[in-house]
Amino acid sequence: MWKTIVRRIFIMIPQLFLLSILVFLLAKAMPGDALTGLVDPSLDPAALEAQRERLGLNDPWHVQYWNWMIHALQGDFGQSFRFKMPVSELIGQRIFNTIWLSVATLILTYLIAIPLGITSGRYNDTWADRLITGYTYLGFAAPLFIFGLVMLWLFGFHFDWFPTGGSVKPGVEPGTAAYVFSKIYHLLLPALSMALITTVTTVQLLRSEIIDTKQRDFILTARAKGASESRVYNRHILRNSLLPIAAFFGYEITGLIGGTVFIESIFSYPGMGQLFLSSISLRDFSVVTALVLLYGLASILGALISDLILSIVDPRIRIK
Amino acid sequence: MRKVMGSRYVFVSLMLVLALMLGACTSNGGNGAAESASPGASAEPTASASAAPAEDDGLYSIEDFNKVKINEGTALKGGSVTYGLVSDTPFEGTLNFNFYSSNPDAMVLQWFDEGLLTWDANYVYTNDGAATYEVSEDGRTFTFTIRDNVNWQDGQPVTAEDWLFAHEIIGHKDYDGPRYDSNFTNIEGMQEYHDGKAKTISGIKVLGDKQLQITYIQSTPSLLTGGVWTYPLAKHIFGDMDVAKISSSKEVREKPIGFGPFKVKSIVPGESVVFEKNADYWRGEPALDEVMLKVINPTTVVQQLESGGVDLVDSFPVDQYPDNAGMSNVEFLGMIDRAYTYIGFKLGTWDKEAKVVKPNDKAKMGDVNLRKAMWQAVDNDAVGKKFYHGLRWNATTLIPPSHPEFHDSTNKGVTYDPEAAKKLLDDAGYKLNGEFRTNPDGSELVINFISMTGGDIAEPLARYYVQSWAAIGLNVNLEMVEFNSFYDRVGSNGDDDPAVDVYQAAWQVGIDVDPAGLYGKDAIYNFPRFETEENSRLLAEGVSEKAFDVSVRQGIYKEWQQYMVDQVPVFPTLYRSELVPVNKRIMNYAIGDGTGIYLHQLAVSQDKPFVAEK
Repeated sequence: MWKTIVRRIFIMIPQLFLLSILVFLLAKAMPGDALTGLVDPSLDPAALEAQRERLGLNDPWHVQYWNWMIHALQGDFGQSFRFKMPVSELIGQRIFNTIWLSVATLILTYLIAIPLGITSGRYNDTWADRLITGYTYLGFAAPLFIFGLVMLWLFGFHFDWFPTGGSVKPGVEPGTAAYVFSKIYHLLLPALSMALITTVTTVQLLRSEIIDTKQRDFILTARAKGASESRVYNRHILRNSLLPIAAFFGYEITGLIGGTVFIESIFSYPGMGQLFLSSISLRDFSVVTALVLLYGLASILGALISDLILSIVDPRIRIK
Repeated sequence: MRKVMGSRYVFVSLMLVLALMLGACTSNGGNGAAESASPGASAEPTASASAAPAEDDGLYSIEDFNKVKINEGTALKGGSVTYGLVSDTPFEGTLNFNFYSSNPDAMVLQWFDEGLLTWDANYVYTNDGAATYEVSEDGRTFTFTIRDNVNWQDGQPVTAEDWLFAHEIIGHKDYDGPRYDSNFTNIEGMQEYHDGKAKTISGIKVLGDKQLQITYIQSTPSLLTGGVWTYPLAKHIFGDMDVAKISSSKEVREKPIGFGPFKVKSIVPGESVVFEKNADYWRGEPALDEVMLKVINPTTVVQQLESGGVDLVDSFPVDQYPDNAGMSNVEFLGMIDRAYTYIGFKLGTWDKEAKVVKPNDKAKMGDVNLRKAMWQAVDNDAVGKKFYHGLRWNATTLIPPSHPEFHDSTNKGVTYDPEAAKKLLDDAGYKLNGEFRTNPDGSELVINFISMTGGDIAEPLARYYVQSWAAIGLNVNLEMVEFNSFYDRVGSNGDDDPAVDVYQAAWQVGIDVDPAGLYGKDAIYNFPRFETEENSRLLAEGVSEKAFDVSVRQGIYKEWQQYMVDQVPVFPTLYRSELVPVNKRIMNYAIGDGTGIYLHQLAVSQDKPFVAEK
C-alpha cells in the first residue's frame, strides 16, 4: 500500500502543475487587475503604470507564470495586493479558522447522520422514518444561507445563547483556556447550522444502503444461523452500509476546506471561502492562484484518503 | 467625526464592490433577515415615531436628520461602547494612515490615530488640531507647528522629523501603498527624490523638534482643503525598517501605534479590535475606558442594533432604513454623502501618447441636443422616490450639496419634460422612422448603454432609463457589466471601448471641490472625453491665485456648473444620503465634518445599551 501512496503522490505533481497553468491562464483572462479598482483622479496614471511594471503585471503570461512558479516552489506565493502581506501568512491566518469550522461541522454531521440514518433504515416506512426523511427533504430544499440566517436570528439574537459573529471574543488572551473555550463557543452555531444542512445527504445515503443491505442473501444467512437482531444490524448490515460513506469522507473534507462562503459571511467568521471570493472580485491574483492550488491539492489528497479508507474498511478492495 | 481621509476622489463603486461581493445571495439573505427578524419593529412603527420623521407617503428626506446626536441623560464616568464595522469581509488590517487603502481599515484607524490638522464644515484646514499652520505670502510655503503635548502612545513626542519621515516613505520608490499622488508630486523636490536623483526632499525642512516647513510647487486653494499630508509616521519605530516591508510588519498589523484618543489593546485579525483609553491624549483624557470594535455583516446589522450588541456603526445600508425607521433604541443621524450618480456620454477617446483627452467631433453622442433630450427624458425625482424612498434624490449639478459653499442650489439643472425632449429631437433633425428615431442624415441610430451589475436595484434602474429613452423614440441597447470590465471599457486604462456610447456610474468626490481630476483635459478619468476651451479656462481659474478669495471661487464654480448643464457631457442623476444609527445611551457623537465634537468626548449615559422594545 505504501507503494501506492508514493505513486499517487508522484502523479500529483504533474496534476498540480497542469492545474497551476490553467488557473494562471484563467486568472489572467479576467478583465482588470488589482489596480483597476484604484480609479482615483488624484493618482497619476503613470504611477499606477509604474506599479504595474514593478508587480510584473505587464509581462507576458509565461514570464509571469515562470516567476511565480520559481517562487512558489520555494514556498513563496507572493504578496497579497489588498492585504499587503505575504499570501502564505494570510492563508495561514485564515486556514485554521476554516479547519476548526470544518472539523466541528464534520463531527456534528456524523453525530447527526449515523443515528438518524440507522433508525431510518432499520425501521423504514415507520413514522420515525417518515419524520427523518421529511427532515432530509427539508434539508435538501432549504438554502444554506437562509437557514444560517434563521439559526443566527433564533439562537443568536432571540434566545441569546450563542455569539453572533467573529471567531473569538475580542480581547481574550490567546493561549488561555478562556480563549480555547471562546473559540469553541463561537464555532458551535455556525458549525451546527452547516451540519444540519449538509448531513441530509449522508442520512439518505446511509438509509438507502441499510435498506438495500437488509435484503441481501448474506443477511438472510446470518439470520438463518440464528444471529440476534442487534448482531445482524451492528455487525453485518452497518459495516457494509458504511462503505460508501467512508468512501465519501475524503471528498467531504475537500468540500469543507473550500470554505463555506455563506456561513462565513453570515457569521462574520473570517475563513478561506470569504477570502477566496473577495480576492476574485478585487483581482488579488496572488491570493486566488495560491488558494485554487491549495483547493486542488486538497481534492487530490481527499481522493487519496477516500481510496485508502475504502481499502481499509473493505477487504475486497486492494489497491495495487 | 467620521472622515474618509486620504484620497480626494474615490470610487463609490469600489466601496460597493465590497458590500455587494456576494451579490444576490447577501441581498436575498438580507431581506430574509429583515423580514424574519423584525416583525415587532414593523408592527409597531408608532412606538417611536419621534426617532425618525417618517412622512405619511413612506418617503424620507435627508433634511429631517441631524448630524449631531441629541444627548439624553447625564454622562457616566468611564464605561465601554461597542462599535460595529459593517462589512461582509474581514478588514484588511493595514493599520497605519500612511499605508492603508480600504475604508474598513480607516474606520479602525480613526480610534487610535488622527491627522495633525483638522478641518471645518467647508473642509478648510483649521488651527484647532494637533498642529497649527501658517501660509507664506505667495501661498506656496506652509509652516506647521505641532503642539507640545502631542505624543505617540508609547510616550515619545510626535516630531517634525516624524512628519518628514512620512513624506520620505510615501515618496520612496519601494512604497507599496496608494498615497503617492498629485499632492506629493506638488512638493518641491519630491519628483527628484522619488526618481532617486536626490537623497532628500528639497521642499521640506525641519525647523525644530516640532516645526516643519513644506514648500509646494503650485499654490492653489486646494492646498487648504486636503492638499497637505497630515499623518506623521513614527520614525523611532519604522526608521530602520525596509520600506517595502513596513506595511506587512507587526508594528502596522498587530501592535499599531498612533496619537489618537484610544490605544490598541488587542487585535483579532480581520474581525475585532479592543481599544483602551489613551490618558495622555493631547485634547484631554477620553471619557470612555474602552471601545470594542467588531466586524458585523450587513445582513445582521439591524439585529445587532436592536439587541444592543453594538452601540454605533460606521455605516448603515440605506435600503434597510424604511423597514427600520421605527427602531426604538437608536437615533438615526444623517448627512448628505459626498457623492453623485451620473450618466455619461462618450464624446471622444484618450490619447495615450500625449496623455490628453481627444474629443471626436463625429461622435455618435456629439450633438448637445441629443444629450439634453436624454436628460429631459428621465424623471430622477421619481427614481429617487420609487427606488430609494427619497433617501436619494434628483441631482442637479456636478458639485453635490455636500459642499454647501460651492453647490449652486439655484441651478435646477435640466428638469424632466419628455414633450420638450421630443420637440428638441424633432428640431435637431432626429426624425421618427417607425418606432425609433434616425440620425439627422437618415441613418439608423442605435445607442449602446452600459451599466454596472451589483445589488437588486442595478438592473431595474438601468432598464427604467432605457424605457424612458424609448419613450422619446431613442433606441438604446442596455448591457449590464461587471465592475472591473465596466471601468476597463469606459476607459480607466485609456483604452476606451468604441462600442460604448452612454454609461452610468458614480463618483465619490473629495473634500476639495476642484473637479479637474474628473473633467480636466489631462485627466484620464474624464471618461466622457469632454474638452473645450471654456471648460479648461473655468477649471484653471478655480484653482488659480485669485480663487483664494472664496467668493471669487464660488463664482467660478457656479459658472462651471451652469456650463456643464448647458453642454451635458454627463448629467448627474442622483445625490445620496448617508444614515448612521446610534444607541440612545451614546452622548457627544456626530457624523460629518466640522462639528467640533471629537471621539475623546464620546460618553454613555448608562452602563448597558438600550434594547429595542418589541
